[in-house]
Amino acid sequence: MTVESSLPFLRLEFGFTALAFPFLALLAIVSCAVVVWSLPRRDAAELMLLIAFALAMSGVLAARSVAAFFLAWEAMSLISAFLVAAQHERRVVRRATLTYLIVAQGGALCVLVALCILAGQAGSPSFSVIAASAGSLPPPLRNAVFALAFLGFGSKAGLLPLHFWLPRAHPVAPANASAMLSGVMLKVAIYGLCLTTLELAAPAPLAWGLALTLLGTVSAIAGVLYALLEHDLKRLLAYHSVENVGIVALGLGVALTARTLGDIPLASLALIAALFHTINHGLFKALLFLGSGVVGERAGTVDLERLGGLWERLVWTAPLFLVGCMSIAGLPPFNGFISEWVTFRSLLAGVAGSPLAVRAVLVAALAGLALTGGLAAACFVKVFGVAFLGRSRDLRHALTERERFGPEPAGMSILAGLCMLLGIVPLLAVTPLASVATTTLGAVPLALPMLSALPVSVAALPFAGALAVVLIATRRRVRGVPTWTCGSPVTAAAQYTATAFARPLEIIFAFLPFGLVDDVARRFAAGMLRLTRRSRALQSGSLRLYLAYAMAAFMIVVVAAR
Amino acid sequence: MALLVQMVLIAGLAPLLQGAMRRLRARLQGRPGASVLQPYRDLIKLWRKEALLPEGVSIVALCAPGIALGVALAFAAVLPLIRGPLGSVDVIALAFLLALGRFVVTLAALDMRSAFTGMAASREMTFASLAEPTLLIVLVGAAALGKDVTLGGMRPHSFGAADALAVAALFLILLLETARVPIDNQETHYELTMIHEGLSLEYSGWHLALMQFAAYVRQLDFLLLAALFLPGSGLFAIAGWVAALAVAITAVETAFAKVRLFEVPQLLTTAFILAVTSIGLRIAGIMP
Repeated sequence: MTVESSLPFLRLEFGFTALAFPFLALLAIVSCAVVVWSLPRRDAAELMLLIAFALAMSGVLAARSVAAFFLAWEAMSLISAFLVAAQHERRVVRRATLTYLIVAQGGALCVLVALCILAGQAGSPSFSVIAASAGSLPPPLRNAVFALAFLGFGSKAGLLPLHFWLPRAHPVAPANASAMLSGVMLKVAIYGLCLTTLELAAPAPLAWGLALTLLGTVSAIAGVLYALLEHDLKRLLAYHSVENVGIVALGLGVALTARTLGDIPLASLALIAALFHTINHGLFKALLFLGSGVVGERAGTVDLERLGGLWERLVWTAPLFLVGCMSIAGLPPFNGFISEWVTFRSLLAGVAGSPLAVRAVLVAALAGLALTGGLAAACFVKVFGVAFLGRSRDLRHALTERERFGPEPAGMSILAGLCMLLGIVPLLAVTPLASVATTTLGAVPLALPMLSALPVSVAALPFAGALAVVLIATRRRVRGVPTWTCGSPVTAAAQYTATAFARPLEIIFAFLPFGLVDDVARRFAAGMLRLTRRSRALQSGSLRLYLAYAMAAFMIVVVAAR
Repeated sequence: MALLVQMVLIAGLAPLLQGAMRRLRARLQGRPGASVLQPYRDLIKLWRKEALLPEGVSIVALCAPGIALGVALAFAAVLPLIRGPLGSVDVIALAFLLALGRFVVTLAALDMRSAFTGMAASREMTFASLAEPTLLIVLVGAAALGKDVTLGGMRPHSFGAADALAVAALFLILLLETARVPIDNQETHYELTMIHEGLSLEYSGWHLALMQFAAYVRQLDFLLLAALFLPGSGLFAIAGWVAALAVAITAVETAFAKVRLFEVPQLLTTAFILAVTSIGLRIAGIMP
């Protein structure tokens, strides 16, 4: 679909590409689940905003020209800012919205400049023309485009070091908005990164592919470490978005590297890994945010230190949330396991046959990914064990009513069901993704013959064991007794807290500069504030002076255009 | 079929290994020690007993012993000891399998409402996440650098410096995974040391039998995995290496004192550096 304009540069072109397909599917599924979950709220304005948000995102995914992409991108950013600012009565929400808007607009500016450079070089704003002439891009411009794309899309996706807005903005939004923001909007930014690096400015220079791999690894480790130290459930989940976007970026980095080195089958495999993890993260992160919404609503807090024993009352949300936790921790037989496994496999295949420097980077990524996996599992043991198991730590937040099945569990069930389905039958997702990768990169991906039987052969015995124990327990009575506390009274306060649980890791990783990014961001913000205060002198309010500015600007443009 | 035979054999012999290691340790400490068959008797006794659980625990706590045993048995089934179909489990999936067991068992520990089990859960996850990169790098390095990532592709053709480093790294991980001094102590529930023991503190009767049996099977699994890195082929060579590793672990356990909790990461970092050096040697060696 094309909307012509008198200025050719502003032509709006829309169309569907293979690369956008997985993202559109994710958008459709998560939006449906979120809308179902939001039904009992009966808040028409919020629902309209969510739907407008989904439409704007589908606009980004379908855009095939610079103007169309940028318009949809801005619409997406602005509508999401309204979602973040839903509870604007609170000062912390207003500040978070402001931070978010500044980063979003700065990022959008980078994206716009990158796209304009590409369109200027190709002589057309149409993505298909840009992609066709991508090969002849001069190296300095290519590097500039990659740097701007990393800044613009990377900041929107939450990659380090421009992630700092994410754990501020996502948690202050209502749970359904957080689910859309973390579940889908970050993925749209990933799409932008894929689009630029794989299509519009392809092929990527080797250094950028390796840089993305390392950036992804660092983001993954940092995200999960921040999450471990965080005990506010929603902020913790937001930090895990940084981690998972890191894993996706790592996969994409391997794809770019392999493509530049000429190993297209491996590039296709790595692209499958990245796209599959994108979809999976969208599913389980939306599920977890919706679950945290139920917790926040029923218990009145999402502070892990005050929660506990939610399983007893939240009989629907708790098991669904457990599915989300196991998926995000990459445990079989859930979807996160498969996509992390494919990511590992593409790293391994890369280690087997590439130049020495590339191998070293890939081994570092491998170790980083393994560390991330271990720490993520630790973090979700903390989340689920402290909030849902055991006993309530604070009577004021203890639940009294047993949860009934309704739209909220139904919405979450859609997502949890898909997490399980894609984990047990991974080919359902991998086969279409393989054809997406084949179309995008032009070669069939490396085969993974083990994949179809993998979930069953890994998880069959453990789950048979669980079933057997439950069956035996129905025949042989298991007696309930008080917890053994060496004779002292059994109290809820004796239970391990989230802080205590994460403390050893906090001590071990204390040498890392956790506050560094925030400090730099704060200093940068203070500097900008000083600068704007200085520039206030220009704003005298005198109409004649403003006319003079306009005249001067016009003269400069005329002189520059000659 | 071959997988089933292998699994049953490993499961059947695992308590014997535990009994032998206990006996050897007793001798080294100048005690006569119990019979090598004692673990079998303990397991049978516990299996017949009623299980108690803290009031109000969820189904997670009930399932955990079954999942722990299932993970240990699945690990036993996929080890490439006898020729035959190795299934579709590669070295990476093996790490995820172990993570599944650990996740459920630590969740169950947090469900028990006890400070001791919570402490054990925290320590277990802390050290496991530090050990995971080492284990994976060792396994990946051995898997002929990704050319063959099935467990069967792991058997080294010749034993070189890289393999020696990998085995050294794996030995440190073994001490952690089999809950031995200097990292952990199997013999005590004292809260300053317990990691693995603390996790099963609230289990009793047939639940405890399952947990202990799972620990025995896992111990033999890990020794077999380490034996695969050592030179020689055939079941006798592997059995010999398992025995040698068991003796070495017991000797370490007797000769060393437990290190402080926050010195354990240094041991694990050492293991990581050994593993990275090993894979570095392999990368440089295979370089065209």
